[in-house]
Amino acid sequence: MNDFKIIFSGPVGAGKTTAIGAISDIDPVTTDEQATDMTKVQKPGTTVAMDYGQITLDESEKIHLYGTPGQERFNFMWDILTQGGIGLVLLLNNTRPDPFRDMHFFLNAFQAFIASSKVVIGVTQMDLSRTPTIEDYHLQLENSGTKVPIFDVDARDKRDVSLLVEALLYSLDPGLGG
Amino acid sequence: MTSPPKSPVRLGAIGMDQRQLNALSLLFSSKCNNRYILVEEESAEICILDLDVFGGERLWEECRERHPDLPLILVSLKTRSISDSYTVFVQKPIPVKLLIMAIEKQRRLLLITTADEADLIDEETPAATEMKALERPDTPCEAPRAPPKVSRAASLMSVTEEKHFVGTAQDIDSNNPAQWEKIFYNPDHYLLGHLQQALNLAVKHNRNVAVEGPWPKIHLMAETHTVRVYSEERHLRPFCTIPDSTLEASLRLFDEVKSQASTFQEYPVYAFFWKLALWASRGRLPEGTNLTQPIYLRRWPNFTRLVVTPHAIAIAATWTEQPRSLVDTAAALGIPQRYVFAFYSATKAVQLAGETRRAVDTLLAPQSIEQSSRRGLLGRLLDRLRG
Ligand SMILES: Nc1nc2c(ncn2[C@@H]2O[C@H](COP(=O)(O)OP(=O)(O)OP(=O)(O)O)[C@@H](O)[C@H]2O)c(=O)[nH]1
Ligand SMILES: [Mg+2]
Repeated sequence: MNDFKIIFSGPVGAGKTTAIGAISDIDPVTTDEQATDMTKVQKPGTTVAMDYGQITLDESEKIHLYGTPGQERFNFMWDILTQGGIGLVLLLNNTRPDPFRDMHFFLNAFQAFIASSKVVIGVTQMDLSRTPTIEDYHLQLENSGTKVPIFDVDARDKRDVSLLVEALLYSLDPGLGG
Repeated sequence: MTSPPKSPVRLGAIGMDQRQLNALSLLFSSKCNNRYILVEEESAEICILDLDVFGGERLWEECRERHPDLPLILVSLKTRSISDSYTVFVQKPIPVKLLIMAIEKQRRLLLITTADEADLIDEETPAATEMKALERPDTPCEAPRAPPKVSRAASLMSVTEEKHFVGTAQDIDSNNPAQWEKIFYNPDHYLLGHLQQALNLAVKHNRNVAVEGPWPKIHLMAETHTVRVYSEERHLRPFCTIPDSTLEASLRLFDEVKSQASTFQEYPVYAFFWKLALWASRGRLPEGTNLTQPIYLRRWPNFTRLVVTPHAIAIAATWTEQPRSLVDTAAALGIPQRYVFAFYSATKAVQLAGETRRAVDTLLAPQSIEQSSRRGLLGRLLDRLRG
């Protein structure tokens, strides 16, 4: 059984649960003890809310979609969670007080994972707050040395979420075909 | 600390900027096992000189005066023949394999003159193996590999849409200028050109601009940075695709309108120009585009709010990784050129893409696209997402 995972992260209300639901074959579940990754780090009695969805490719292959817990007190989980991950989908909520701070915080927190894989950024709730613009986000990363896909994403829209994940796949391998 | 095998060959680089030097250093360390190192000209055993830098010919002359028998590798975008037996010429962009062959050729010269024959690369040394590896067709330095076999459900676009946006043109031979004519279009001969003028005007005066002619009413709104079209798209499209159907255009500045009774479609300027460029292009290129100059992409387009033509995301991923020429992009991805040309037209119209002007981008030929070890899996996931 080949199992691979894509990690969805971002601040509270960024649309992680919704985005996973938009492309998952199963209804997204909020796990506590179910996921194997969790049990390794969990102290007895603690439960950690984490989103889980999956895309079945065939009988022997599944893509697991994990949403990190929104609250920062679960940061210790992230290293374990990202092991073997194929890439990071970072969702940012444009109505939050300082979405740039959120972006830098999460890029920094997942630095090691991103360095060994790829990241794409989806900015949600742009219909509710038009600024900052996608251009503004790019300017924030201008000197980072890499060009990151940053899309205006409505997490409720399957096409938006799919395009964002497609960009992740092509970043990993532009010669993928299609 | 591990030392590189034998002592590295000392190469001087003349007429190169810091970026070019970095590119060579990176190549020598990553692909050549540090067999070669860059040093100052004074201590170099072999020099490589870029003739395309300003005053390049003079640099060459002066270098020859200083060191009449220094093994020299000349590089330029323009081909030339050299009679001097201490000099070899390699045309840019340089395939890595040719560069290494040139260096090794010059190195033999060096060894023969110093009579140190024993140091010549024999068949079994690591360097020789490495060079053989470089000659294998599937290695990263080799030109375009065979097109991917699988043809996936092309994208989120219907066949009709694809015809409108990308056309059906066949590939052309970039070495045959006779074929070039049919792949170029002049944006000014389409509605796109008038909109571009209207945008300049709107920005300059910070006022709205009406683009008037026999087509449906179009208003470019300065404050919201949007375009309003007062009809359905299908009434607009002919003027965007038929050349010179827009000769009697006029641009009129106006201020905010009282609430208009008629309904309109509103587009962000960016998305509207993108679409107009695709309609005008239909798989062709803006006049004057260089087919072999590497293309850069300033940043990823905001694909979720744009028309996504087939292969657009793959091309964007390629160009954000490394600038690459239009013809080479199609070859490296194994896709028809029209998809690359259409995408370039759209990104150019919104000023996201352009031809590189940096010397480093034409120094080395781009490496072929590295295949992920998970390509099969990623491809299956891609199919599912589109399914
Ligand atoms: N208007 C609008 N609503 C959105 C958009 N994207 C997501 N939402 C909504 O935003 C709300 C929050 O989304 P969630 O998916 O719960 O966010 P989350 O990241 O899982 O949040 P936590 O679990 O609290 O960290 C939901 O009601 C979504 O339907 C968007 O682009 N626009
Ligand atoms: Mg949630």
